[in-house]
Amino acid sequence: MTILTLTPIGVGLLLLILPQILPGNLASSIRKFSRNVSFGVSMALFAFATYLSFTTFGGIDWIGINMGEYELMNNEPVTLISSIGVSWIVGVDALSLPMVWLTALLIPLSMLVEWDAKEGHIFHPLILVMEGALLGVFVVLDLFVFYIFWEMTLIPMFFLILVWGGDDRKYASMKFFIYTFTASVIMLVGILIMYFHTGDISGVSGTLTGHHFSLVEMNTEMIQSEGLRHLVWILLLIGFATKMPSVPVHTWLPDAHVQAPTAGSMLLAGVMLKMGAYGFLRVAVSLFPESTVVFTPILIFLGMASLVYGAWVCMGQTNLKRMVAYSSVSHMGLIFLGIATMQPLGIAGALFMMFAHGIISPLLFAVAGAFKHHYHTLEIGSMRGIAHHSPYLAAHMMLGWMASLGLPLLAGFVAEVAILIAFWMSFGWLVLLPALTLIITAVYYLTSMQKTIFESNDRHHGILPESLHGEEPRDITWNENTSMFVLGILTVVFGIFPFIFFDMMSDWSTEFIREVLLNHLIDQGVKP
Amino acid sequence: MNLPINTSEAELIIPELIMLFGLIAIILIPNLGKASFRIPLTRIRVPVLIGGSRFKSTNNPKLPNQISLITFTSALFFGLMQNSYDTIGETLEVTEFSRLFSLIFIAALLLATIATTHRLPARVNIKPPNESDSENISTKKIDALIDNRRQVDFHIILIMVGLGMSLMSMATHLFMLFVCIELASLSSYILVAFHKESKIGGEAGMKYFIVGSVASAVGIYGMSLLYLWSGDLSLDALAIKWSESESVDPLAGIAVGLMLVAFGFKVGAAPFHLAAPDAYSGASSPVAGLLATASKAMGFVALMRILVSVTMPVEGEAFWYTAIAVIAVVTMTWGNLAALTSSNPKRMLAYSSVSHAGYMLAGLAAIGSGLGSEEAIELVLTAIVFHLAVLVIFKFGAFLVLSLLETEGRSHRLEDLHGLARREPLVAGSMFLFMLSLAGVPPLSGFLSKFLMINGIVNISAGTGASDATSVIDWLTSVEPVFWLAFAIVINSALSMFYYLRIGLVMFFEEPEDSRTLKDALSLKLAIVACAILTLLVGIGPLSDSLLEMVAEAINSFVSN
Repeated sequence: MTILTLTPIGVGLLLLILPQILPGNLASSIRKFSRNVSFGVSMALFAFATYLSFTTFGGIDWIGINMGEYELMNNEPVTLISSIGVSWIVGVDALSLPMVWLTALLIPLSMLVEWDAKEGHIFHPLILVMEGALLGVFVVLDLFVFYIFWEMTLIPMFFLILVWGGDDRKYASMKFFIYTFTASVIMLVGILIMYFHTGDISGVSGTLTGHHFSLVEMNTEMIQSEGLRHLVWILLLIGFATKMPSVPVHTWLPDAHVQAPTAGSMLLAGVMLKMGAYGFLRVAVSLFPESTVVFTPILIFLGMASLVYGAWVCMGQTNLKRMVAYSSVSHMGLIFLGIATMQPLGIAGALFMMFAHGIISPLLFAVAGAFKHHYHTLEIGSMRGIAHHSPYLAAHMMLGWMASLGLPLLAGFVAEVAILIAFWMSFGWLVLLPALTLIITAVYYLTSMQKTIFESNDRHHGILPESLHGEEPRDITWNENTSMFVLGILTVVFGIFPFIFFDMMSDWSTEFIREVLLNHLIDQGVKP
Repeated sequence: MNLPINTSEAELIIPELIMLFGLIAIILIPNLGKASFRIPLTRIRVPVLIGGSRFKSTNNPKLPNQISLITFTSALFFGLMQNSYDTIGETLEVTEFSRLFSLIFIAALLLATIATTHRLPARVNIKPPNESDSENISTKKIDALIDNRRQVDFHIILIMVGLGMSLMSMATHLFMLFVCIELASLSSYILVAFHKESKIGGEAGMKYFIVGSVASAVGIYGMSLLYLWSGDLSLDALAIKWSESESVDPLAGIAVGLMLVAFGFKVGAAPFHLAAPDAYSGASSPVAGLLATASKAMGFVALMRILVSVTMPVEGEAFWYTAIAVIAVVTMTWGNLAALTSSNPKRMLAYSSVSHAGYMLAGLAAIGSGLGSEEAIELVLTAIVFHLAVLVIFKFGAFLVLSLLETEGRSHRLEDLHGLARREPLVAGSMFLFMLSLAGVPPLSGFLSKFLMINGIVNISAGTGASDATSVIDWLTSVEPVFWLAFAIVINSALSMFYYLRIGLVMFFEEPEDSRTLKDALSLKLAIVACAILTLLVGIGPLSDSLLEMVAEAINSFVSN
């Protein structure tokens, strides 16, 4: 895991810096190759991640991992800053493994989509650095280092939006950076309060403060005041919910998405939003299950608000990318609802939603990016009947849209159903609201699809947007096609065989809930 | 022979002695010449060396710069080597604490010297203008000649600043402390006004001098009141007297309050900070960097001596707690808000340094609340000193970038930074790192220091909330107000992000007004890149560890006194 995290950062930085300090000749040859090298490294990492993910190859029984245990963990933490108890601990469990695999998958795909990006010798290494930071967030088990990686993801993304973004990119990137930075500093206060309630453990004793950041050994029982526990939970919620993002702190997302380059959008939607959900589950929910139960109404409210509001706003959107962005907000609301149930099925559903959305939304953004690329506009309805011009694009769009609205046999469906069932079991008729919202989702997806793919006056010609100035559009390029194709296939595969990851997710959540219940019973005086 | 100090004592202050010898050398050497004295009635001429037409080697205008470079480098080196600590006479004491601060000061001065090499360049072969020259060329020549002429002045004053600051950190007697501060301050006023031929330089220096001397006068008044009260100005005696008195004597309270004005001016705390932005933007960038780092550190040493080691009661809150807490919050907010609206990078950095002073004052206020255990107090002090130490790296780094720009133009408009990435990618990248570090983005050193600060404050305060509170509101109402200081820092960090990012933005995404690469100022560029690398290395990894350890030792020695 250490390799997985540090290689891309190292290679990426090297590719960025070397041309600056080396003499001209060497520098230009490095520039020429940096795109290929980045892609190669990311593919190698993907192969490695895949190898680890499958029990048969990796030899790791992912389903058998107990709560609080991690695979591939370095049992000898490397001390980074001994005086305040920061060390390098990495490990993976069923919660983070799908995310690691997803990240490793999406990086090469998003590189592929923007294979011909201008200034590729900076673009692709930047994405590589991004990969390292994202993987770091998912595998690190030390809160300090976690926070470092959490913030580090901002910088490459900031530059991706700023340099390769649309017309309003400055505003969008500033907004993106400041929003998420503010939220995470608030989260930092929460982390610090937790930090102060950790005791000395062997191995990191002798620190200046007598505390440590290790997530593995963290025990929130040390925080005596229940009110303080709740406060920490809320501080963490602010940090993570902004990243997810949930209403009312979602407003950075549409701007960032619309302005970001395709690859940036894909990573933003595919992985960065999941960081919020992952962090929420890893830190807030698993360390403060009681607070989670207490604040269930807040979670439900936030989830519902995001779900309904996101879907409602989608209906009014005329910009394709903005619509997809709001649909992300809406889907992230479902994750909150899944967590709010505090049931194995609901949490497993939320986990699978993270994964499924991580495959589907990059597909949506890749499609939207291809529109921008080939039709130079994102207005829904300005181009019609693209099935005539770009049959591949139309096919990918259809698959992606269908998957996102939750068609059975596609990945999104599994997650939605799991969450809704669990929700029904916990809250009864409240389930009607999210269930009905799915209708709205269907409405906006279907209308936008109908307006773009079909609906032309002429049987053989679509309506072309004015932005093309009468030229014929080209069909999408091979690289876009390949990457969308892979995503599309995976959507189907995980729709039909969700158990590839769903099993370990449900196992994780079952065990988690069992642990919570057990602790609760012990508190009540029942002997285990 | 009866030397004023014996050898064992001299060993303790090697860096200071080096600076002293450097000072003498820098005065003497450029004056060496062929002057000789003829013994009356004979033809024998005895060379007296001082005066006359100078030797070729001593006539070199680059000499002062080289001497001061050598002085600071060797002082830094010997300072690092040093590991014996003792008292010297009645008024000085060398401890880990004073040694660390000497190092901080000397490092800042070394950076200033490197920057001055290119900011105030000396040219060897400059002829006076003759009549055939155009007006433009002749002004340039005259400027160069003036620059040559005043090399010595600048470096003499620079070394004096170093001496004053370095001795100040060792002072255990209030009077000594004040004299050293004045030595450093008066020298720094001159440095600010050094470009007196430009309107803005003279104005800035004058303003800084007037406000500074008023502040000093108020401080001295406070000190004399303190003397009236205790009859002894050594810090130990004051601390004993303070701890003996049951409640705060009004006379002493007023005295300390007045002294806070003087030191508050030095650190740039609101509302005494108003002269600072003018001074920074009027001074040349190396000097401004000096003010933002070393001068601020000096103010904090004084504040820590007065507030923590003298007037801090054994238990309960210090009488200055509320005042400092309010000042801290006002300072950081004011600094950030003002920085937001300023379009002059130097003013912006000045305000940012005001807000950083606010963060550190918040740490002091948390100590003053009297809630923390001894370890907690040490932790906060560590955070403050660590912050002061790393400021030298990234704040001065930012000023180094500005002085690089100044070598061929000006740096008082945001437009001057436009498109720097296209002209000098490495420098722009470093500047971006400095900005992120100032804003406190991990894993840079600015984050670690800010982190330690919030850490310390939370540590002191989070335990005070009612442990039986079952809801968030209950807990928040039961927690001591110190906790909110942490929040103030957090909110302000977020606020500051705007203007730090803006610098990054214009560097990368605006068209440069002038697309040439910058002048070949190799040592300055190297210093900038070195600062950038250090910014990263001190943020995480073994180097940060060893620096933290050093700071922790320093704090140990400070507290145990």
